[in-house]
Amino acid sequence: SDESLFVYDCSSAEKQQDGKGTDKGSDDILAFAFSPSGGYFALTDDSKRLILFQTKPSWECLSVRFVNRRCTSLVITAAEDKIFVADKSGDVYSYSITEPKADGKLELGHVSLLMDVALSADDQYILTADRDEKIRVSLTKAPYSIVSYCMGHREFVSKILVIPNCPDLLLSASGDSTLRLWQYKSGEEVHCCQLSTICGPQAAKPDQKYTVSRITYCCQGGYVAILCDSIPTVYIFQLDATAQQLLYKQQISLKHKGWDIAFEEMGDLWILQEDKEAPLLMYRACDGQWKAVTDDKGLQKMSEYIQDNWTVFEGFVGAGSYYSHLYKASFDNMDEYLQRKEKRLQQQKKKKQDLQHGSSGQAKKKMKTEEPSL
Amino acid sequence: MAAAEEKEEEAALPPQKRFYRQRAHSNPLADHTLCYPSRPQDMDWASLFPSFFPPEAPPGTPPARVEFADVGCGYGGLLVALSELFPRSLALGLELRGKVAAFTRARIRALQAAQPGRFGNVACVRGNAMKHLPHFFLRGQLSKLFFLFPDPHFKRTKHKWRIISPAMLAEYGFVLRPGGLVYTVTDVPELHQWMLQHFGEHPLFEPLPPGQLAADPLLPLLPAVTEEGQRARRAGRPPSTAVFRRRPDPPVL
Ligand SMILES: C[S@@+](CC[C@H](N)C(=O)[O-])C[C@H]1O[C@@H](n2cnc3c(N)ncnc32)[C@H](O)[C@@H]1O
Repeated sequence: SDESLFVYDCSSAEKQQDGKGTDKGSDDILAFAFSPSGGYFALTDDSKRLILFQTKPSWECLSVRFVNRRCTSLVITAAEDKIFVADKSGDVYSYSITEPKADGKLELGHVSLLMDVALSADDQYILTADRDEKIRVSLTKAPYSIVSYCMGHREFVSKILVIPNCPDLLLSASGDSTLRLWQYKSGEEVHCCQLSTICGPQAAKPDQKYTVSRITYCCQGGYVAILCDSIPTVYIFQLDATAQQLLYKQQISLKHKGWDIAFEEMGDLWILQEDKEAPLLMYRACDGQWKAVTDDKGLQKMSEYIQDNWTVFEGFVGAGSYYSHLYKASFDNMDEYLQRKEKRLQQQKKKKQDLQHGSSGQAKKKMKTEEPSL
Repeated sequence: MAAAEEKEEEAALPPQKRFYRQRAHSNPLADHTLCYPSRPQDMDWASLFPSFFPPEAPPGTPPARVEFADVGCGYGGLLVALSELFPRSLALGLELRGKVAAFTRARIRALQAAQPGRFGNVACVRGNAMKHLPHFFLRGQLSKLFFLFPDPHFKRTKHKWRIISPAMLAEYGFVLRPGGLVYTVTDVPELHQWMLQHFGEHPLFEPLPPGQLAADPLLPLLPAVTEEGQRARRAGRPPSTAVFRRRPDPPVL
């Protein structure tokens, strides 16, 4: 195989000629994806470029296009004919691969920021996860037709993954510190895993949030590994497809912040971490336990590549949480108003009952003096 | 909160609008501290429509379900009319402004108290229709969806606040059953055109053939039953009504 490393420098690629010169972005890559076969690779960056590569027989840039809004996630169809790109204003656009220079087409929209987009293995369904609590399932060929909503998360949905070898099952993660399994075509939740009860005892803070920032899945054995925002630990689960459950297996503590994780087909787990000395770790399953591998040639080679190109990663060292500003904030006091009103109504009901039963009506008077008026 | 408003609640008197005034527009895209169920099945529908959830109902009776939704119901004029026209069907008003929703609830309570046994089929909740429809309604649950005098949001930059938009139409198509109807009324010609265009272009909707319109008893009522409709009439602005039908689902290929 070709041993050389393919490097593409976004900073030297063409930028949008923007008359106003406003809203100039950096060269930071915001999202990327391989096609299911690995034959294509696409990325979007902060300058709103969508760059498409083919990887076989060798890496080559096919096109640089421009998207309307900054993107958060993208996915390539199994048919390798389209890229679906989800953006911050809630829209999904499709971009042709067969016509690598063609403009994008608006496919669907949420009234929210999109956080992830996924396709079913047969490309029939497109799934979108938003900053509110919603996961929407639409027909890929007719995305205006919503098949279901998977409702149940209490905060933004950070990641979704259609389980490749259980094509009806969706795995999702959210700012509500849960992982959930869904029969996504009906929207039925089949399993909910509270990460705080599994990962909790080790946490430093009592109100620690477990917001999953990365999910990787291995068909061999049905293993799921996750990385949580601001927690230097990888948690491993096993999917029991028949019971439709996730079983907690093991955790791997890191000495540094975890940046990304990926399973290889045969089950080796790669971990990219915020450390120039040991940017890459590799774990291998051995009698059901994942153990660190240090003498792997591939690991050594990849580690060197990363160290040699550390300037690319340097900018992200010490970066803050991506998710902290996404938790729901409230900005009015209506809740309080209604709560007080409801309380008053309850009090009145009680007073009426009390009067009927001959007891005093003191409660109401007291309520009034205790309550400030709106 | 004024003492007068409390008195009103206590006696279930008809509410007075002056206690419930609020700025005309709330940003539908912002986070509000709203109470909404996580999923439709988590909603306590019995507490909204107690007379439709009798404790002695034989087991196995399917629970009553909301069939009509009034989006941006305001002070509730349409809900009151629907209650009388369709006394066996449940209608829910969604209103973003909290005090306005509170007014409408007080209004319904007062009517229920004054005419026991009636008006039990309508209710109003504070909610954001641009975000929460799938929290309240299941797929294909609704047979009628009303948009009476929606906020026009004239400025281009505010068009994304409009309640009728390509993104929202897919969601309206989701909660409406095939054959279900959308009614729109507005006194703003530009908004009428906007709604005709967007429903007209959307593959899940078709304008209702004029022949079928004539028989609908709601049509002559809609422009006049709500507060905004009365205001438009007083100001001499003629309202335009449109009706669209939810088309069948496209085939799953
Ligand atoms: C002009 S008023 C019309 C009220 C009523 N339909 C009538 O005809 O009198 C529009 C109403 O829609 C409400 N509204 C606007 N956006 C909304 C949203 N996203 N969800 C629920 N209500 C909304 C506003 O608060 C306002 O009360």
